[in-house]
Amino acid sequence: MRSLSSRLRCSYLAALTALRERAAYAGNFGASMLTYGLFVFIFSRVWAGAYAGDALIAGYSLDMAVWYFIVAEISAFGFGRFFWGLSRDVKSGQVAYLLARPYDFVGYHYAERLGGSLAEVGFIALEGLVAGLILVGPLPAALVGGGAAAGIGRAAVVVFSLFLAGTLQFYLQFALALSAFWLEENDALYWIYQKFALVVGTLIPIEFLPEAAARLSLWTPFPYLSYAPARLFVAFSWDEAARLIGGQLAWIAVGMALARGTFALGSRRVALNGG
Amino acid sequence: MDERISIDERRSADPGRASAAGASAAGNTAGGASAAAGITAAGITAAGITAAGVSSRRPGRLKAYARFLAAAFAANAKSALEYRVNFLVQFFGMVLNNAAFAAFWAVLIGRTGSVGGYGFSDVMFIWALVSSSFGLAHVLAGNVRSIGRIVMEGGLDVYLLQPKDAFVNLLASRTVVSAWGDLAYGFIVLALLPGTDFGRVLLFCALMAPGAVIFAATFAAAESLTFFLGNAQAVSSALAEFMLSFSLYPEGVFGKNLRWLFYSLIPSGFVAFVPLRIYRAVDWALVPALWGVAALYAALAKTLFNAGLRRYESGNRMDARV
Repeated sequence: MRSLSSRLRCSYLAALTALRERAAYAGNFGASMLTYGLFVFIFSRVWAGAYAGDALIAGYSLDMAVWYFIVAEISAFGFGRFFWGLSRDVKSGQVAYLLARPYDFVGYHYAERLGGSLAEVGFIALEGLVAGLILVGPLPAALVGGGAAAGIGRAAVVVFSLFLAGTLQFYLQFALALSAFWLEENDALYWIYQKFALVVGTLIPIEFLPEAAARLSLWTPFPYLSYAPARLFVAFSWDEAARLIGGQLAWIAVGMALARGTFALGSRRVALNGG
Repeated sequence: MDERISIDERRSADPGRASAAGASAAGNTAGGASAAAGITAAGITAAGITAAGVSSRRPGRLKAYARFLAAAFAANAKSALEYRVNFLVQFFGMVLNNAAFAAFWAVLIGRTGSVGGYGFSDVMFIWALVSSSFGLAHVLAGNVRSIGRIVMEGGLDVYLLQPKDAFVNLLASRTVVSAWGDLAYGFIVLALLPGTDFGRVLLFCALMAPGAVIFAATFAAAESLTFFLGNAQAVSSALAEFMLSFSLYPEGVFGKNLRWLFYSLIPSGFVAFVPLRIYRAVDWALVPALWGVAALYAALAKTLFNAGLRRYESGNRMDARV
């Protein structure tokens, strides 16, 4: 019990320190925010062009499609770059130094990296909210309708789903990054992962995909990275929330096992030398 | 792994110009600047080899520059291929990156028929052309988006002290490995597009080359603002991001209010939208006009770089290019 509480305290401090450090240099988010804003603007125009002759496509109106993109990209921008730092640590040998520290390696990095990314996610989410209100108008009725209390409850579920998306992103990218223990060049693995994530639920909702592809995608982790929070944001229902969040939790369990397994196998290959 | 690749300038040194070592010594003494205080561009002018000085003279024999560029390309390619795994990973990674967007467009246009007046083939064509133009610009002029950093770090001296024009030398002395994937992706897509024949491949190449020049010139001009602003990285990155992003989506979706921008500061119109119209109509008559526009952008970029170079002051950093 004491061990658990000290672990949690260590994780909390790691997350808080990383969050403060990132927030102290908020100017560094400028490039991400600029690119995110540019993408939101361009895709709002692309969707306007796509909806020129249609009121609904695959069950989505124009406003829903734009709001969907805004939320889906928060996950992609805010949680999409864990891989590089982790992979670099393994390739540079920095991991040998980190392994010597008295903490749970995977848990510590989860807290530190996710905690640090929350500052950027906050800035991007705020920017997306403002951009959406300007480009589209009011928030989706499915999210905010039916009174303030109900709206806040649904918004909290969306935020929780976004947090789970970040957690899943971390564990999957962690496992990919640690492939550097075996592969000198593992960037291609991340690119493949990133592109699947982009096509399956980030750029477009999975309902837009051909039916067989959409059904198949639900058996992969990709819809749970961006699609889950974005779908809940634009077409919230408690049934769907339970299904999507259940899927996120299940894939997090798989991702965590994969990350810990990869770390256990990979860390045996580290050779420490004095100096 | 560092993807920057230097070339051996000595292979293509122009015998008609001062040697790098001689120029260095002359620059230091004639300018009266000590090594610790740094060498100014004005100081080196005494040796007659600053880019400003070079620009005021004839640019040199075309054949000599063609030989120089060919040597630079060969050395860069050889160096890139030295790290084969890295090269292949970046090559196929970039192809895959671009292919993901093709999947997006296939799905979207499969649902709507067209977006902003563009069908699937049109969108794929601009992706192919922009990808290849962007790739070619970075394969041949890999330093084009590093000019600002090089200026800030005082790394221009090594180019100023060499006999070839500093602007050309600086741009051509590096290749970007992933850009080879961009370059190839355009031709892969072109081969898959319906109706592609030898004539259309030639037309594609004739449109790609000015596109590459316009990309390089625009990026170089933005990077050259570093001479005036001290640090123009934010402006330069934003311009690069905007130009690439706007070029890859149908012109029609942006409306008429932004159109002036696409034919001036962010010349997406000249690297994507106009070439698409030419390609659709197979209108070779307009190709020379596009080359003219590319030459104009290149001249403006060179002028801006040379104007900025007069303000350049180096530190006492020592570089060696081997």
